Amino acid sequence: MLAAIAAATFVQSSRLHLLLLAISSFVIKGIVIPVVLRRQVRATVFDKRETHYYVGFPTALLIGMGLSIAGFVSANQLAITKDLLGQPVSGVAISVILIGFFIAVARSDAVMQLTGLLVAENGLLLLGLVMSAGLGLLVDFALLLDVLVGAVVMGFLIARMNTTIMSTDTGELTRLRG
Amino acid sequence: MSGSALLVVLLAIPLAGAVATWFLKPPAVLHGITAISHAAVLVVALVLLGMLLTGSAPHAFDNLLRLDPLGGLVLLIVAVVGFTSAIYSIGYLQHEVTHGAVKANELRRYYALLHVFVLTMLMSAVSGNLGVLWTAIAGTTIASAPLVDFYGSRDPLEAAWKYIVLTTAGSMIALFGFLVLYQAGVHALGESYDFSFPVLAGVASKLPAATAFTAFLLVLVGFGAKAGLAPMHTWLPDAHSQAPSPICALLSGVELNCAMLGIFRVFALTAPAAGVGRLRLALVLFGLFSLLVAVAFLISQRDFKRLLAYSSIEHMGLIALGVGIGAPLAVFGAMLQMLNHALAKSLMFFTTGNLLLRFRTRAIAEVGGLVRTMPATAVLAIVGGLAIAGAPPFSLFVSEFSIVAGAARSNQVVAASITALLLVIGFIAIVAPFNRMSFSTPPEDGAATARVNRIVLIPAYLSLLGVVVLGVWVPGPLHDLLAGAAQLVSP
Repeated sequence: MLAAIAAATFVQSSRLHLLLLAISSFVIKGIVIPVVLRRQVRATVFDKRETHYYVGFPTALLIGMGLSIAGFVSANQLAITKDLLGQPVSGVAISVILIGFFIAVARSDAVMQLTGLLVAENGLLLLGLVMSAGLGLLVDFALLLDVLVGAVVMGFLIARMNTTIMSTDTGELTRLRG
Repeated sequence: MSGSALLVVLLAIPLAGAVATWFLKPPAVLHGITAISHAAVLVVALVLLGMLLTGSAPHAFDNLLRLDPLGGLVLLIVAVVGFTSAIYSIGYLQHEVTHGAVKANELRRYYALLHVFVLTMLMSAVSGNLGVLWTAIAGTTIASAPLVDFYGSRDPLEAAWKYIVLTTAGSMIALFGFLVLYQAGVHALGESYDFSFPVLAGVASKLPAATAFTAFLLVLVGFGAKAGLAPMHTWLPDAHSQAPSPICALLSGVELNCAMLGIFRVFALTAPAAGVGRLRLALVLFGLFSLLVAVAFLISQRDFKRLLAYSSIEHMGLIALGVGIGAPLAVFGAMLQMLNHALAKSLMFFTTGNLLLRFRTRAIAEVGGLVRTMPATAVLAIVGGLAIAGAPPFSLFVSEFSIVAGAARSNQVVAASITALLLVIGFIAIVAPFNRMSFSTPPEDGAATARVNRIVLIPAYLSLLGVVVLGVWVPGPLHDLLAGAAQLVSP
């Protein structure tokens, strides 16, 4: 979707670098990161039923709804952009950022925390697109590279966690205090 | 060579070093490359600083890379501490390999990551574009998290995970702030513009006030998490106590300063529009709270590396406070504090690294009698302990005193007195453990027999020399650099 919006913005403003950005963010976020993370996480004992959460499922849904509303309201408050596409999209973007952070704090499983951060990162890139139509080609690519490498390093740590404590539940990592 | 070419060379050296150390195996070669590359970085950095001070600010690629006094100060810190840490790494890892704590084939992973880590920190110092600055600062976490986890057991892993998740989340909040700042610039500069410091600084007073204020707060909270400002500091004592000692020196002495640089850059850009007063108040509040939290945890600390980590939070709080107070003396003190903190904190992590190599424990109570067993390290522990706590005649006394005096002189008596009180309590909490470790009777068990090699003492004594000299004399060019940096953060 991120790529689609980048492409839509490209059609609107017809700047070449947005097309490049659309393609590369689709490749990195849609293909490379999922594939790499799948390979790293497949070997772990990551529990697909997602039992490691701090907030119950119904509560989480309600909080998610609340965060979406907060996202749209704050997007209106900030009055980020006046064009037709930008206004609703920036609301979506801020909601996605908030929900991503919520996922990261509400779950204790490392895989889900990483997912939450990636969701928030998507929201940020989306916001960046509608706000500024990108920060310049080089800078945008550097940002994408950062996300990619960051996700891979976190995936590496998750795999290490799996071999060291036989779990990816960060609730078990509470030895360092004080 | 021209300034722009030198900037490229500066970044190319650690990159080449990373590639070379990743593909080569023999330990001697790896040690050699690391020493040479960091020495080369130091030389290039000094030449660049010389150019900066003689009036020609080096820049490259349409201001994507650019050196100004504030970045120059951080560049100096990265280059100096990077060099001493690289030399220390060599001695430290030789010891670890000889005693079986680290396998020889893990060295290349360490050195390659070390080079990338230094590269990202150099890049944040010489960035002239906010996007590059963000990428570099966020990159420091990614490069160093695997280094925190280098020993690969349970506790370092916990520390590394906490570190990467919390600081990445912080960086994202800061990125949000950067985007809001870009949006603020659109009003003055049009839909698409060059997101670089000179361009934005030119229109800084024309930005919409509310948007600029929002941007600053987001960046302060986001990079504040990375700079270890309380209450976003919770990852810091873990990461700084679990990483290998030379990495601790870089994390604590340099990386925190890079995050501070990010905050100050945005501070300088948003202050004219958003109102200097409330931005400074935000810095003062975060600074005082960090001091309070740090001192509270310093008092009851039983682990000497965690002790140093909390001392870093104390120093970062002081730096934020100094800039927040805004009096010329206090801001100059804060800039000097950045340099002093880097020198003194790396000195102390080198010193405690030696203790760790010999005693294999971080518990203060299990280390004793250093004066008899390790006299050279004992001198460092006693003198360095006094230095980071802020005793005269060491350089931290000068900078800390400047910050407090600046606050008092500009009639911010409350901030000045709270700071002075906390500094005194912190002083006792830091000096007492190091004296106890030095002068108490040595532990009787025969475990503590691993002799530490000479190489690990050289960088420690170099840092000590810096701390002593800067305490009594700030050389002219350095003074110019600090004054230039102070001017950039007093809008």
